[in-house]
Amino acid sequence: MVSNVSRKRDSVFRAISDPTRREILGILRTGSHSVGEIAQNFRMSRPAISKHLRVLHTAGLVSTRRHGTQTRCQLNAAPLVGVRDWLREYESFWKDSLEGLKRHLEENK
Amino acid sequence: MSPISVHDDRIVQEVTIKAGAQRVFAALTKPEELLQWWAAEGKFKVTHAECNLQPGGKWLMRVTSCGPDAPRALTVCGEYLTVEPPRLLEYTWILEREDLPETLVRWDLDEKDGYTTVRVTHSGLITEELRARHDGWPLLVTLLKSYIHNEPDIAAKERA
Repeated sequence: MVSNVSRKRDSVFRAISDPTRREILGILRTGSHSVGEIAQNFRMSRPAISKHLRVLHTAGLVSTRRHGTQTRCQLNAAPLVGVRDWLREYESFWKDSLEGLKRHLEENK
Repeated sequence: MSPISVHDDRIVQEVTIKAGAQRVFAALTKPEELLQWWAAEGKFKVTHAECNLQPGGKWLMRVTSCGPDAPRALTVCGEYLTVEPPRLLEYTWILEREDLPETLVRWDLDEKDGYTTVRVTHSGLITEELRARHDGWPLLVTLLKSYIHNEPDIAAKERA
């Protein structure tokens, strides 16, 4: 049920649990953007947006590249695969559990 | 195994058992019974169970997982929310080492002509907050889909 990638996945869950960060991911879907361009979409300060970007970066969901004086941010959805795989682990856990229950009840009358 | 669709934020599994609902309910809520059936060979096994079966009562299970790695013991616990024998059982599910808000497990039992359809629903897996807002998960699904679509390696693995 718990795989060795669970810590990495936890950082992805933390990253996507915040509405601002999800909105940033949505913006980055359209292509790479500078921090300033991203910040223009929000009322909060640029340092606040930078902080959110750091969380997304730590989770591996956003990569950054320097273009002259600008830092451009790019979406990387790969870590979400870990979330899906984790759901699949749970699915097979419940499937196995129900099979165990059925066997137990139908064989031990 | 049936494929899981990534837009699901919950897991639903169902089985029909030749037994009455009372009998199934007992198997779900008595520690000595849980120890007998909650296992899958080569994967996991419940080794200890405690059930204080009443709304607000706590439950706890120790599970040994025996995957490809060395056997590992872990504890899963929670609180009974709804106890309505023999049709409905609902409890929170907290797995140690998973840094997540508590999730929810619900058992629905439907008896008909000596058979009981058992449906287990595990929800809250993508966090309560995301489920409540309804806007988070679709975005993530879109991101994931476009990612898989653009990565031939993963797409090939998917088909394999």
